[in-house]
Amino acid sequence: MSGGSGWERIRSTRGGRLSRETSLTGRTARTVRLGRVQPQAPGYRTIFCNDREANLPVRFKGNSISTTKYNFLTFLPKGLFEQFRRVANCYFLLISILSMTPISPVNPVTNVVPLSLVLFVSLIKEAFEDWKRLQNDMVINNNPVDVLHDQVWETIPWKKLQVGDIVRIKQDGFFPADLLFLASTNADGVCYIETSNLDGETNLKIRKAVERTWDYLTPEKAVEFKGEVQCEQPNNSLYTFTGNLIIENQTLPLSPNQLLLRGCSLRNTEYIVGAVIFTGHETKVMMNSMNVPSKRSTLERKLDKLILALFGTLFGMCLVGAIGSGIFISSDYYYLELQRGVGLEFNPSSRFSVAILTLFTLITLYSTIIPISLYVSIEMIKFIQCAQFINKDLHMYHVETNTPALARTSNLNEELGQVEYIFSDKTGTLTRNLMEFFKCSIGGEVYGTGFTEIERGGAQRMGAKIQEAQRSPHAVHEKGFNFDDSRIMRGAWRNESNPDVCKEFFRCLAICHTVLTEGDESPDKITYQAASPDEAALVTAAKNFGFFFYRRTPTMIYVRESHVEKMGNITDVPYEILNVLEFNSTRKRQSVVCRYADGRLVLYCKGADTVIYERLADGNNELKKITREHLEQFGSAGLRTLCLAYKDLNPETYESWNEKFIQAKSSLRDREKKLDEVAELIEKDLILIGATAIEDKLQEGVPACIETLAKAGIKIWVLTGDKMETAINIAYACNLINNDMKQFIISSETDAIREVEEKGDQVEIARFMKEVVKEELKRCLEEAQHSMCTVSGPKLTLVIDGKCLMYALDPSLRVMLLNLSLNCSSVVCCRVSPLQKAQVTSLVKKGARKITLSIGDGANDVSMIQAAHIGVGISGMEGMQAVMASDFAIAQFRFLTDLLLVHGRWSYLRICKVITYFFYKNLTFTLTQFWFTFHTGFSGQRFYDDWFQSLYNVIFTALPVIIVGLFDKDVSAALSKKYPELYKEGIKNMFFKWRVVWTWAFFSVYQSLVFYHFVTISGTSGKNLSGRMFGLWDVSTMAFTCVVITVNLRLLMMCNSITRWHYISVGGSILAWFVFILIYSLLRENVYYVIYVLMGTFYFYLTIILVPIVALLGDFIYQGVERWFFPYDYQVVQEMHRNDPEDNSRAGLLEIGNRLTPQEERSYAIAQLPRELSKHTGFAFDSPGYESFFAAQLGVHAPQKAWDVARRASMRGKPKPSKKH
Amino acid sequence: MSNDNAAPSSSSAAANGSADSAAPRRNSKRPKYSKFTQQELPACKPILTPGWVISAFLLVSVIFVPIGVASLFASRDVVEVVDRYETACIPAQNRTNKVAYIQSSANKICVRTLTVPKRMKAPIYIYYELDNFYQNHRRYVKSRNDMQLRSNSSQDDTSNCKPEDLINGTAIVPCGLIAWSLFNDTYSFSRGNESLNVNKKDISWKSDRDHKFGDNVFPKNFQSGGLKGGGSLNESKPLSEQEDLIVWMRTAALPTFRKLYGRIEVDLNRGDTINVTLGNHYNTYSFNGKKRLVLSTTSWLGGKNDFLGIAYLTVGGLCLFLAVCFIIVYLVKPRRLGDPSYLSWNRSPGGQR
Repeated sequence: MSGGSGWERIRSTRGGRLSRETSLTGRTARTVRLGRVQPQAPGYRTIFCNDREANLPVRFKGNSISTTKYNFLTFLPKGLFEQFRRVANCYFLLISILSMTPISPVNPVTNVVPLSLVLFVSLIKEAFEDWKRLQNDMVINNNPVDVLHDQVWETIPWKKLQVGDIVRIKQDGFFPADLLFLASTNADGVCYIETSNLDGETNLKIRKAVERTWDYLTPEKAVEFKGEVQCEQPNNSLYTFTGNLIIENQTLPLSPNQLLLRGCSLRNTEYIVGAVIFTGHETKVMMNSMNVPSKRSTLERKLDKLILALFGTLFGMCLVGAIGSGIFISSDYYYLELQRGVGLEFNPSSRFSVAILTLFTLITLYSTIIPISLYVSIEMIKFIQCAQFINKDLHMYHVETNTPALARTSNLNEELGQVEYIFSDKTGTLTRNLMEFFKCSIGGEVYGTGFTEIERGGAQRMGAKIQEAQRSPHAVHEKGFNFDDSRIMRGAWRNESNPDVCKEFFRCLAICHTVLTEGDESPDKITYQAASPDEAALVTAAKNFGFFFYRRTPTMIYVRESHVEKMGNITDVPYEILNVLEFNSTRKRQSVVCRYADGRLVLYCKGADTVIYERLADGNNELKKITREHLEQFGSAGLRTLCLAYKDLNPETYESWNEKFIQAKSSLRDREKKLDEVAELIEKDLILIGATAIEDKLQEGVPACIETLAKAGIKIWVLTGDKMETAINIAYACNLINNDMKQFIISSETDAIREVEEKGDQVEIARFMKEVVKEELKRCLEEAQHSMCTVSGPKLTLVIDGKCLMYALDPSLRVMLLNLSLNCSSVVCCRVSPLQKAQVTSLVKKGARKITLSIGDGANDVSMIQAAHIGVGISGMEGMQAVMASDFAIAQFRFLTDLLLVHGRWSYLRICKVITYFFYKNLTFTLTQFWFTFHTGFSGQRFYDDWFQSLYNVIFTALPVIIVGLFDKDVSAALSKKYPELYKEGIKNMFFKWRVVWTWAFFSVYQSLVFYHFVTISGTSGKNLSGRMFGLWDVSTMAFTCVVITVNLRLLMMCNSITRWHYISVGGSILAWFVFILIYSLLRENVYYVIYVLMGTFYFYLTIILVPIVALLGDFIYQGVERWFFPYDYQVVQEMHRNDPEDNSRAGLLEIGNRLTPQEERSYAIAQLPRELSKHTGFAFDSPGYESFFAAQLGVHAPQKAWDVARRASMRGKPKPSKKH
Repeated sequence: MSNDNAAPSSSSAAANGSADSAAPRRNSKRPKYSKFTQQELPACKPILTPGWVISAFLLVSVIFVPIGVASLFASRDVVEVVDRYETACIPAQNRTNKVAYIQSSANKICVRTLTVPKRMKAPIYIYYELDNFYQNHRRYVKSRNDMQLRSNSSQDDTSNCKPEDLINGTAIVPCGLIAWSLFNDTYSFSRGNESLNVNKKDISWKSDRDHKFGDNVFPKNFQSGGLKGGGSLNESKPLSEQEDLIVWMRTAALPTFRKLYGRIEVDLNRGDTINVTLGNHYNTYSFNGKKRLVLSTTSWLGGKNDFLGIAYLTVGGLCLFLAVCFIIVYLVKPRRLGDPSYLSWNRSPGGQR
C-alpha cells in the first residue's frame, strides 16, 4: 500500500502522544472527571440482525432513555434522603427529636412545624423538576424512526427500537441508536455524517459500509439480511469499535468506519440502512454522558461556612448557659424543690450532669439561630428567578431560532453574578461557522462595500459616522456570499482599469479549489461540497462574479463564464486539471495546474499572504505594497484573507517538473515531504493577482458583548480546536486581541520542534517539548511580570496551542502557566482537545479559585461545560449535547450580557441580601432569648411562646425576604448593561464578605440588647393606672411584637426598590402577627389575653414606637454614613439616574423581541481599534480533515490526518507499536 | 447569475413581521410579556440622600422629645415609698441564722415606720418586691396546671405539677410549685392611730380572674404536705377570688419583680408617718432574696419609671445632635449626588482622591 509509511509514522507519533496523554489524564483525573468509565463486561456481545426472536434471550436494553432522578416509588425515600443530606435539615430533625424529650424547654411544634414545611416545599419542587425531565425524555423517546418490518418501513418511536433491528435514516435525520452501517443510497456505500453533537466538528465525516452489505438498501433486499454481529460490549469510547460481521459463514471485520453513533446526523445522503447495535443507555454517547454533577454555587459554599460559624456561636452560647446553670443550681432556691424527686437535669448534687443536660436543653432552645427556612427560601427564590425571570426574559429570546433562554439548574443563579473567567468555544459560539465572501482586493483595488462589525465599532468609537453604502438593488446575499460592489458585479469589471487581472482573479477562484458539486447544475440549485467553508465561499463568489463552476470530473473542471468575451455572452469553458498541490498546514497554500482549452498552461495558487509573498516574482512592488496594506486592513477588520497568485508555465518546464511530481507521488517513503519539496519547485515566481477577504461570520453582537464583559472585569479565554491562525483571527475579530496588546505565543509549530519530531523518538520528543514549553513559559512570565510592574504597560494576551498546553499542564509547569495566564487579559488556546478544555477550565477554577463559566455549543465543549462552575450551552442549534450538559442555555453568545450583568448580578445581590437578612433576623431573635437565659438562672426557660417561635421563621418574617429575593434591584437592567463595571462588585464578592456578615452580626447584637433590655428594664413598676403588673408572657409578647416590627422594617430599609409587593408583604407580616396574637391569645393558657392586657396600656404603645426606632437607629446611621462617605458603585449610579423616568421598555420589548435596535447595538462601545494599520492579516482556509476529505472523495487513499475521527479511532483500536517493549 | 435567495436576515425579519402581526403563533416559544417576568414592576426607589437622613433625624427628634418630656413628667408625678425590710424584720439575735428563724414558729410580726415624702393621692398601690427570686425558672414556670385551675372537673389533673402534685395519692388544688410557694407576708397599715384599710379586691387582671381561675374550683390539700412552701389558702373561697394567688401565679419575667398587694384608698399627706405591721413569714433568706414593701401612686403611664422618658429624650436628643452633625458635614464637605468620581472605576488607582 502506497501510504504505508505515512501510516506507520503517524501511528507511532500519535500512539506515543496518546499514551502520554492518557497518562496525563490519569494524573489529573482527580481534578477533571470526565465521565465514569464503566466496568466492562468481559467478552463480546452477539447480535442477530433482523431477528428479534434470536436476540430475545440476551435481553438487550431497550432504546428508551430516562434521565429522571426518581420514580413513583422511590420519590419519597430518595427525595427525603436527598433533603436530609443537607446539614441544616438534619440538624433540625435532630432538634425535633430532642424537643420530644423532657429536657426540651420547647414544645416539639416549635421545630417540627418549620421542618415539615421546609421539607414539604422542597419535595414539591423536586417533584416538579423531575416531572419536567420526564417530559423531556418522553419527547426524545417518541421521536419516529423507520424500522424494517415485514418488508416495509414502519415508523415507530425511538423507544421501541431493539438491538438487531434494521432501520432507515433519511437525510438530516439523527441516528436513534448506535448503528452498524449497511448500505446507503450513495453508489459507493459511503455516507456523510455530521458529528457536531459529539465533538463539535462541523465538517462532514465519511463512513463506509462493508462492501458485502451495500445491496441491502430496499426493504425487499434488506429483509434478506441475516447477519450476526460480534462486537465489543458497550463502552464509552467514541472512537473505537471492534467487531465482526458474520454473514453466510463469512467473517468481515468491522471498524469504527461502519459505526454510526447516536446523536450524529446524516448529511448529503438520501438515506442509509443500518442495523441497531447499541441502544438507549448503552449507546456510546449516553455512556459518555455522565451524571451531571450537581453543582453548588460558591456563595452557597460560603453560606455553609456561615452556618458553621452559627453552629459555633450556638455551641458557645449553649456552653455559657450550661456552665451558668451548673453554677447556679442550688437547693437554696427551695421554691424550686430541688431536693426531692428531681431529675438529673436540676439536681444540685450533680452539677456536671446539670450542665450537660442544660447544654442540650439550650441547643433546642436556641435552634432558631440556624435559619432553617433559609435553604428552602433561597431555593424558591432561585427557582422563580429561573422559571420566571431568566426563562422568560424577552431580551434573551432569539426570534430566528425561536429559542428563549433556559435555566437548567436553579442552583447557580447568583454564581452568574460573580463570574470572573469565561471560557468560550469558538465555532458556533463566537462564530456562526458561516464563511462569507466579503471583500477583495484585485490588482491593487479594494472591492466590496460592506463594513464589518469591528469597523463599525471602531468608527463609532472615533466618533465618525459610517456612511453605509446603499446596497444596489441587485445585491446578492446568499450563503457564503455577502458582497456588493457595482464596479465588478454583473460583468462591470470589464470596464475597470485592469480587466485582465480581474479575469485571472475570478478564474483562480473558480479553478483553484477542491470543491465538489452536488445537485442540479444551475446556479440556484447547485450546492458545493467543500471540506472548508472558506473554499465554498470562494467558489460561490466566483459564481456570483460570473464564473460558475458547475462540474468536476477527476481531470476536468467546467466553468460557465459570463461576460468574458463580451457583455452578456455565456460560454461553458472546460479546464483540464493537471495537478492539484494540496493544501496542508505547513504549506499554507494550494495550487492547481490547469490547461486551458487553447493549451495555455497556468498554475493558480492561493494561500496565506506570508507564503505567497515569499514566492512572488520580483517586480511590481507597488502592487505588492498596496495589496499588503489591503491585507492588513482586512485583517484588522477581522476578516480572513487569502492571497491569490498565478503563473504561466511553459510546457517544457512543466513536463520536467511533472515527472518529478509523479515520482514523488508514487514514492513510498516520506511521500508527503517529497511532495512538498516538489511543489516548492514550481510554486515560485508567482504573479500576485489580489486577495480575498472572507468574513468568518461572528454571531450577532459578539464583539460588543465581549467588550461589555471585559469592562465588567471578566476575562475571556477562547478555547478552540481550530488552528492558531484561525483562532488568533477570531480573537481579533471579537476584540479579544488588538494590536495594542502584547502577545505571547507558545506554539509547537516551530522548526526546532518539528525537527525533533521528525526523528520520531517519543521520549525525546516529550522531553524536548517539555523543555521548550518550560523555557517559553519562563520567558513569557518574566516579561509579563516586568510589564505588569510598569504603570501603563500594554495589556497582555497569551496564545498557546494544544500540544504545548499538554506539557504546560504538567503539574510542574502548571503553576507557571497559571501565573502567566492570570496576568493576561485574554487567552487563546487553539488546537485543544475537549479534555484539555476541561483541564484548562479546572486549572483556573481550582488553581486560581476564581469563578469560571464555560460556554459552548458542541459535544466537544461538554467536558469544559461541566468542569466550570457554570456551564452555558448555546441552544437553538441542532446539537443538544452541550445544552444537555449545561446549567444555562442561551441562543446567542451576546445574551451572556443579559445573563451575567442583569440576571446574574441581580441574583447575586438578592441572594446576598436574603442570606444576610436571614442571618440577621435569626441571630437577633435568638440573642434576645439568650439574654433572657441569664435572668432565668440558666434554666433554659423559653422567653417566647412555642408558636411564636415556630411561626417566626415561617410566617411573620418569611414572605418579605422572598419578595426582596425576587424583586429587589439596585439599578435597572439598562443601567446594569450601561455600567458593566457594576458587575465587579459581584466578582469582589462585596455583599457577602465576612466584613458584611460581621456588620450585620454587630447590629444584631445591638438590636437584641435593645429588644431585651428596653422591654424588660422597667419591669418593676406598674404599667398602667390600675397599678397591675405584667407577667412573663406579657413582657415576651411585647418583646416579640417589637422584634417582628423591627425585623420587617429593617427589611424595608435594605431595599433598593420598593414595589407594592414589598408593602403588602411587610405590612402583611406585621398584620399577620397581630391577627395571630389577637386570636391565639384567646386560645392558649399561658398567653391568655396578654395582647388585650398589653393593648390596654400606654406603656405598650410607647414601647413599640421607641424600641424599633432605637433598634434601627444604629443601622440607619450606618447606612447613612456609608452611603454618604463610602458609597457603593451602584449607589452612585442610582443617584446619577435618580431622576430618570421609570424605564418601561414594554413597547420596545413587544416590538423588537430579539433584535437589538441598531442604536442599542452601537451604543455598546466597541473596542478601541488602532488607527494605524495593524500587522495582523487574518489567514483563512484551514479546516481539520480537509485533505483527507478531498482525497477520499476521489477515491484516492491518502493518509488521514491525526485529527480525523475515523483515523483516531482506528489507532486506538490497534495495539500500540511494539517499540514500547 | 440570478439568485432569488433573499438575504437570510431580511427573510427572517419578514417572517417575524408576518408572524407578529397576523399569524397565530402557535409554535412560538416567545415568552409572554408581563411586568413581573420582565422585572419591571413599578417601584419606588428610595435613595438615602443626605436630605433624607437629616430630615429623618429631625423628624424623630421632633416626635421623641415631647413624648420623652411627657413621660418623664408622668413618671416624676408618681410618688413612691420603698422600704426594704428582710433583714430589719429579723430580731437582731436571730440574724446569724435567718433561715432557721423564718422556719421556726416564732412570732414574726414586725413593725416598720414609713414617712410619706410627698402628698400621695389615692389610690395608693401596695406592692411587695422580691429579689433573686426566679419565678421564671424553667422548672418553676411550667409547674402548674391551667386546666385544674380553671375548672372543677379536671381538678385531678396534676400533670406538670411534680413534685407538688399529689398528697397521699390525692390531687393538690392548686398544684405545682408556683402555688406552693405563694408569698405570704402580710401588711397592715395605720396612720397614727387610724388604721388604713387595704383593699385587696381587683388587684389581679380581670382576664385571669374570669378565665384562668375557676369560680368553682376550691383549694384542696393545699400546703398540707410536710413542707410548707408559703402561704395557705382559704378553702372555702373559690380560686377566682383568691386574688393573691392569681397575682402570684402570673409569673414575673425577671428575678426581681413587684407584685400588687392591695390598695390604700385614702390620700396620704406629706410628712405622714405610716406604721406598717408586717407579718414576715416568707422565706427569702435561703437564697438571700431581698424583700421590699412599696407604696406607690400611678400616672397615666403607670408606676414610677423614668426609663421611658429618659430613653425618649436621649434618642430625641441624639437624633437632633446627629442631624446637626450631618448638616455641618453637609455644609463643610458637601457631597454632590451621583458624583461619577465616586465610582470605583473612576477613582484613580493611585488614590489621589
